[in-house]
Amino acid sequence: MSGQKGAGRRRLVFTVLVMASLLLVTLFLRESAGGFLHSMQTDGLGAMSPLQSLATRAVEPFQDGWRYVTGLWSAYEENEKLTAEVEELRGRVIELEEGAEQNRDLKELLDFRESGIFPEGSTFVVARVIGRSPTQWEEWLQIDRGTADGLAVNQPVVGAMGPVGNSPAGKGLVGKVVAVTAHSAQVQLILDSQSSVAAKVQGGTAEGILQGSLSRTLIMDYVERDQLVEEGVVVVTSGMGGIYPRGIPVGVVTGIGEEDVNIYKQIEVQPQLNLYGLTEVMVITNPPAETGLGEGFLPTGIQSGSGSGRD
Amino acid sequence: MTDGRRIAAGIARLVGLLVLAVALQAILTSRFTLLGVTADLFVILTVLVGLTRGSLIGGVLGFVAGLLADMVFLDPIGLHALIYLVTGYAIGRYAEWLPPLSAWAVVAAAAAATLGSQFAYAVFQLLTGGGASFFGMLWVQVLPSALVNGLVAAPLYLGLVRLRLIRRLDAVHAVR
Repeated sequence: MSGQKGAGRRRLVFTVLVMASLLLVTLFLRESAGGFLHSMQTDGLGAMSPLQSLATRAVEPFQDGWRYVTGLWSAYEENEKLTAEVEELRGRVIELEEGAEQNRDLKELLDFRESGIFPEGSTFVVARVIGRSPTQWEEWLQIDRGTADGLAVNQPVVGAMGPVGNSPAGKGLVGKVVAVTAHSAQVQLILDSQSSVAAKVQGGTAEGILQGSLSRTLIMDYVERDQLVEEGVVVVTSGMGGIYPRGIPVGVVTGIGEEDVNIYKQIEVQPQLNLYGLTEVMVITNPPAETGLGEGFLPTGIQSGSGSGRD
Repeated sequence: MTDGRRIAAGIARLVGLLVLAVALQAILTSRFTLLGVTADLFVILTVLVGLTRGSLIGGVLGFVAGLLADMVFLDPIGLHALIYLVTGYAIGRYAEWLPPLSAWAVVAAAAAATLGSQFAYAVFQLLTGGGASFFGMLWVQVLPSALVNGLVAAPLYLGLVRLRLIRRLDAVHAVR
């Protein structure tokens, strides 16, 4: 008898909690970004961020040690891969030096470098990376700067890991701020499957939408088939959509796909930066005002959004 | 010790475990990756409590752990709560009805619960128009997570039993 009573109570509790969960999810998805549940989540995150900042400093030596140990596992494979890449790059450099077309590409790159990437008067806030998305379902970073430092949603984030100097190698777009508290912010990486960036091929007229993919490369879609795109060229932001300034390097074209049944080309782009090794990033706190140019560019059936949509 | 005190001590232990899980997940675990993924202490804790305390407490703890996970993982509040509630309840029912309660059961249950929770998350992604699919993420996220969570669950179980923060596996029969 008491066993039946216990089973009944168990089922009742389970049912009530299932209903409560469904109610919470529904309310969360239906309420605005400033709603009660969103605010509760943001406050909770804000409360934890000082602790995370402190912990970041405290665990850094252990983290480095862990990276070293795990890095040894793949060192041999990595070495072979890098050696092959070096050989390929050497060949490409020779081609660039010999051919007139390649010389033009280099000159364009040089002009681009000297012209300055960011709009005049851009202001930046440097932030430390204090957290990362726990799964690959989503790709984001948490940084230690927030509204108190002038950060706001939709501000572009850039980073640099390349050689010191004016070379654009290893410098490029990281993503954009999608949530912000007083002293921390969440940055959606360009590799997130929900991220899309209006982009163009540097020195060309091909434009499209860069989207994240599971293979940790970017796919540039909606590029007209008659556009000429070659492997190795740099892809930069086009400035459409009004979130990312024009001309920020995003990546390099590594593959071009064309199918008879598809009216667009699909271009594989390798990001300029190793987004998983970043320890510090820069947030552009005065990005260009919304231009709405992106709306006109988008192919039929594609909508632009603010939080996780097309920019 | 009276029944009231024993219950209060049990609840205090579970609350302590949850606080510890939040702290470790937010501060430490997310910084150390293995096979490209990080361990999900919330689902592991839900599995351990479900295995050792049965479906009722497993489900309730899963619900609370899920709410905390939603805060830490910045997901819609209630999503992980629902997934972990079902996970804790199902694992608890399994432990109440079947007796294969060796230490390997912890590894298997954690891995199975991870697969189930990842599948549920994939369904949510599908319903809300997310870009990633379950089968697309199978090799990069789902299977590595199941393996890592399974591997982390065993030493965590032994450590928590030694610290007397959770019961031994055979204790669940008392709950039946």
